[in-house]
Amino acid sequence: MRPWIKALALLVALTLAACAGVLGFHPTDPSRPFPHRAHVDKGVNCVVCHAGVEHAGDTGPLHLPTEAVCRSCHTKPHDERACLGCHGEASTREGAEIARKNLRFDHTKHVPVAHGDCVRCHSAVADAKAGTILPKMASCFSCHEHKDQWKMRDCDGCHVDLTAEDTLPTSHLIHDGDWIREHGVRAGSERDLCASCHTERSCAKCHGAGTTPTLPAKMAFDEVSLPGLHRAGFRSRHAEEARADPGLCTTCHSENSCVDCHTASHVSPAGTTRSPHPVGWVGSGRGGSEHGVQARIDPVSCAGCHGGAGEMLCVGCHRVGGAGGSPHGPGFTSTKNKVHDMPCRLCHGPGL
Amino acid sequence: MVCKRVARSRSPAQWVVVVLAVGASTWSSRASADPLRLRADALTDTQSETQSPTGLVVLQGQDKVRPWLDAEGLVWAGTKPGLTGDVLVLALHLREPHGYGEARVGRFVVATGAIFPVQMDGADVLGRTTWGGSVELFGGVPVVPRFGPRAYDWVTGARVAQKVASRLTMGVSYVQRREYGEISNEEVGADLAAAPAKWLDLAAKGAYDLTSPGIADGRLSAATRIDAFRLELFASEQSPGRLLPATSLFSVLGDFPSEMIGGTVRWKAAPRLDVLASGAGQLVGGELGMNAWIRSTLRLDDRGLGSVGVEVRRVDVISARWTGFRAVGAQPLGHGFRLSSEIEIAVPDQPNGRGSVWPWGLAALGWRSHAGWEVAAAMEAASTPEYRYELNALARISRSLELR
Repeated sequence: MRPWIKALALLVALTLAACAGVLGFHPTDPSRPFPHRAHVDKGVNCVVCHAGVEHAGDTGPLHLPTEAVCRSCHTKPHDERACLGCHGEASTREGAEIARKNLRFDHTKHVPVAHGDCVRCHSAVADAKAGTILPKMASCFSCHEHKDQWKMRDCDGCHVDLTAEDTLPTSHLIHDGDWIREHGVRAGSERDLCASCHTERSCAKCHGAGTTPTLPAKMAFDEVSLPGLHRAGFRSRHAEEARADPGLCTTCHSENSCVDCHTASHVSPAGTTRSPHPVGWVGSGRGGSEHGVQARIDPVSCAGCHGGAGEMLCVGCHRVGGAGGSPHGPGFTSTKNKVHDMPCRLCHGPGL
Repeated sequence: MVCKRVARSRSPAQWVVVVLAVGASTWSSRASADPLRLRADALTDTQSETQSPTGLVVLQGQDKVRPWLDAEGLVWAGTKPGLTGDVLVLALHLREPHGYGEARVGRFVVATGAIFPVQMDGADVLGRTTWGGSVELFGGVPVVPRFGPRAYDWVTGARVAQKVASRLTMGVSYVQRREYGEISNEEVGADLAAAPAKWLDLAAKGAYDLTSPGIADGRLSAATRIDAFRLELFASEQSPGRLLPATSLFSVLGDFPSEMIGGTVRWKAAPRLDVLASGAGQLVGGELGMNAWIRSTLRLDDRGLGSVGVEVRRVDVISARWTGFRAVGAQPLGHGFRLSSEIEIAVPDQPNGRGSVWPWGLAALGWRSHAGWEVAAAMEAASTPEYRYELNALARISRSLELR
């Protein structure tokens, strides 16, 4: 093999080895899942380490083993550092603390039913690589059907507070992908499910009528990995974003939002003689109908500045008999009374 | 273009907000209930959009007095330019203990079925049956920001839904909204969520405008997961003219729908590396366009406390054509400190005198204590279509508290 090929192969191998660490193939954290299975295989009963757990009620300590408990058997440890510093992950302990705080669970009622067989619920003990051995909810349902509670979304029987429990969905509900776009269609049918974790303010922060100050992108400016429609330089590109998806803005904003904000930030053409539209935007010559084409494609943008009293600008030309002709495009129909109802009466009203 | 950022002296109103911020943080540590969750945020920035320098206080609280009774509030106060504020949520939530029904009263957002989210002052009642059916009725007055009064406005609606074997939920809904007594929105809608197989999730909803008959909004999503991949196909059709209130003159221009069809792929390429890509074709006003982006996030540790990410985006839809690049990074520094930064460069195809490149950047330092305090400060710099360059300083202090 040629020397340069050897060097290249070595370089690639070294790069991959380095990247393996960065990419997480070789975790740098020395802690690892506690070897529950190894202890069970050796015949160590669960309560030897978790002393008193069989009498634990709905509250109280976690009954996790102390260093002294480990050393009562492991009299000659291979390392002077604390056993549980490496044997057992911090996230597992945190998960157990959260579960203790937010789940209604009483070991004293369950241990006799299971005849002292902890593995019946804590089945993950059999998996030597399992980080947490907290039973999955499916384990609970193997005995407790809870069909009615499930249908009724009555979670309070077991879950003290799902929001505080911070149990992220793991199945189809996981907020993955482009969730900001996707959540609307998912939440439409599943309001009950969303409400299991989310409260009123989750919706109101973005969908409220006057939301700007509470937008997560504004308040959590230092959480740069948070997704959001209004992140980073949105203010610069908001016109482009609005044009690229006509109608999207109206999901949260009223038609007056544009003019309100532009006026407040002194970038509104209102009150000036300068028009933001290109030459020939309105008129009878070539390109004179461009404003009509654009208005049909993106009427929300027009309403942003010309809504309310500004509509009379259009009425001046487009009212019945006016020089601008009918503004109704192909396919327009309405159930409104054109003489009496708004906005029809502006152009079709009595005497017009 | 010129730089236009002039610091102004604080008005009395701004001082009131500052005092409110400090007071809210102190007050939250003395309040008590069982269990009570409170959060107070005070934010200030020097951006002229909110009349620099400004202050903003947001108070959010949630209380479960009894298992069947919740109360929740989210209010803010700020200077924009004078002392102002608003209530986003102020609601009581009552539940029948066995889940047969629940009711909300106060100010909240109704987002159910195919109905567009609407914030209102009113009531919402939901009844459930043991065979999976539910009926929801709501009615009230649509919220006008800053307590703006408007006579003869109201919104009423309903949704009837049925769940089948935990795998299918279907619903039909109706909403009518009036402004000054005139119908501004009247729609019927249908929605569906289904999980026919463990690997497949479907969701769809559509709203049909009754005032100007036609589809106002339709959406479809189908998602599947295969090992490290999640694939979603989506489609939507919106009629912007029908999304405007029917009292607006711009709602009478005709049916020019905006249609989109595309897909999103998420790939967990490595334990710490995620790649997310999305692409969609669009038909707007009869003209074809596209919107695509790819984003990659690398976590710097196993718990994801530090991360770096890059994103590239291209939008090419009618007159909105631009390319964007964004990069983010965050790294914990120990003792609760965290450094984060974000940059974005947007390049419009047609600058039209607004500058050929719009760069934006932010560097932030945050600190979080175990006692629930959070402090963050940042500097933001940008060159925008309005200003050749601008600097903005931001600071936030927050306090979260949970009492049982």
